[in-house]
Amino acid sequence: MSFSISKQGEVVVVDVEGQLIVGNRQELKQKVLDELEKGEKKFLIDFSQTGYIDSSGLGVLVSLSKKIREQGGELRLANLNDDLQTLFELTKLDTLFQISDTRERALESF
Amino acid sequence: MKELEAVLIAFRESTRCDAAVWTADGSGGLRAVARSNLRLQRPETVPDSNSVTPLSVNDGSMLVAAVPGVKQTWLAVAPCDGETPGEKHLRMLLPFVGQVLRGAQEVEHAALELAERYEEINLLYTIGEILGRTVTLEDAAATILTEISETVGARHASILVHEPGTDMLHVVAAIGTDAHTAPPIRVDDPTCVSSRVFRTQHPLTVEAGEMECEAERPYRRGEMLSVPIMWTTPTGGEPLGVVNLSDRRSKQPYSAGDQKLVAAIATQIGTAIQNARLVKSSLEQQRLLQEMYLAHDLQMKLLPKTTIVSPEAEVSARVVPAESVGGDFYHLFRMPRNRTGVMIGDVSGHGYRAALIMALAMSASSIHAQSTKDPGEMLSTLFGSLREELSSTEMYISIFFGVIDHTAAKLRYANNGHPHAFKIDGDGTTVRLQADTPPMGLTDQAPAAGSVPWQKGSDTLALFTDGIVDSRNADGERLGEASVLDVIVKNRAKKPAEIVAAVFDLLEAHSGEIPSPDDLTLLILKS
Repeated sequence: MSFSISKQGEVVVVDVEGQLIVGNRQELKQKVLDELEKGEKKFLIDFSQTGYIDSSGLGVLVSLSKKIREQGGELRLANLNDDLQTLFELTKLDTLFQISDTRERALESF
Repeated sequence: MKELEAVLIAFRESTRCDAAVWTADGSGGLRAVARSNLRLQRPETVPDSNSVTPLSVNDGSMLVAAVPGVKQTWLAVAPCDGETPGEKHLRMLLPFVGQVLRGAQEVEHAALELAERYEEINLLYTIGEILGRTVTLEDAAATILTEISETVGARHASILVHEPGTDMLHVVAAIGTDAHTAPPIRVDDPTCVSSRVFRTQHPLTVEAGEMECEAERPYRRGEMLSVPIMWTTPTGGEPLGVVNLSDRRSKQPYSAGDQKLVAAIATQIGTAIQNARLVKSSLEQQRLLQEMYLAHDLQMKLLPKTTIVSPEAEVSARVVPAESVGGDFYHLFRMPRNRTGVMIGDVSGHGYRAALIMALAMSASSIHAQSTKDPGEMLSTLFGSLREELSSTEMYISIFFGVIDHTAAKLRYANNGHPHAFKIDGDGTTVRLQADTPPMGLTDQAPAAGSVPWQKGSDTLALFTDGIVDSRNADGERLGEASVLDVIVKNRAKKPAEIVAAVFDLLEAHSGEIPSPDDLTLLILKS
């Protein structure tokens, strides 16, 4: 379980490997907030290597989305697997995020 | 001394000379050690202890010589049959006397040493007994300090224990002063002996005037022996505190043997400290566990009895928190005009924070369910009551609220992001009572109410939380929503309690002994 951060153009890309759950959600939150503090505005979280997100993980995504918006920035999500896509649809969280099928499409959408 | 007396008497019998052995009495005079004749005079003077030449004393009637190898002891030979004693008699007797006296001294030393060892063994036994009893850290430290001070003859002593929170050494036991009034010492204090010994983890003997620090004044008088208290772990040693001994009754300096003995005892003190800490933390854990059981009972009591909606509806529900308390809940309402209200909620996360939000949601919904006309309005009003709490804690609730109108044969519902709400028809057809807004706390949007027909006697309402769906087996595979629904559909003709039992049987068969990381809740309603 780890988060790696890279930069593609103006976009900060965060890759989530494994799970986003109660035990590691604060780490993700802190990493993104640190980048936001440095003045970054565009963020993409890529879930292509993520199997599971629990309810506290979803909470952190919403909290990050709010904080980024407050700073005039944008957050996009990409590469949710079928289970995660269904979870976002059933809970209507898909209405709160801009979700793309691929990383490339997400990057183009900024 | 009988052995020496026998030697002197044998000497007289063979030489006809009386003889006596004298030793310094500590106040400038002489004391007889042994005599062949009790009437023998005391020598008026004696030669220097190091002199090898006999001295003629008492007007030449007596020859006196220092006994070689024995300090402050002299052999005096008196006239033999009235004649002046000869030097040859003295020189003949002198080695025998020396040998007997040295032998006697060795026996005396051995006896003293044996007594000391006995004292040390006794000390170890006493400490063993103290450690065997469950006592507080202060009691154990005070008893051990008294015993060790008695053994080495220290009139001032102290035991200081490290407090990791403040990084200070606190006096937990003292002799010669009150432990409660002795000030604590910072570990990084450069002037105090205790802090230095704690930092270096090496014993130290400081002489009078050396490293005198104000904080140690209450239990230090002149020279002080300071030894670290160590707790030996499989990965090495960890310092727990310091034991200080000072003001020795014998005025003798502390020897390497004393240091060794105190270091051995300090290890025992370390065990006592660690034992006392473990007992304390175990008691605290027990208390916490009891409070957690109480909290669990209290939370379960917040959930309504399923019979409050009978006979219009028959309900069975089970809530299993992942910790002692959780964020899952259900609620039931007997409502006017032949209606039954039912709610399921899942507060994000679990544990105490989620339980507090759950309790708030339970109490607020009890009011709003009766005062609002429509399920959508009810959830929207409920959000108004919880908005501030959810926002400040960054938590949210997936929540479903449905109202069955038994007269109109309809189920009206509203859903804030709750994924697992279903109506199962008599023929097994499953309808998802879908959310149209994200969970409460993540959006300001009010959910709109939906409506489906409700057929008494055949329809089943099944509400459950993601803890059930996400339960994993030993290979990490999720149970999944389809498997849960499958069991409910297959058992739809049975009573709600039997359906709930069947789902939990499935859960157990899937996950076995693996504890669920999330709260588990299932509610089945029929009418």
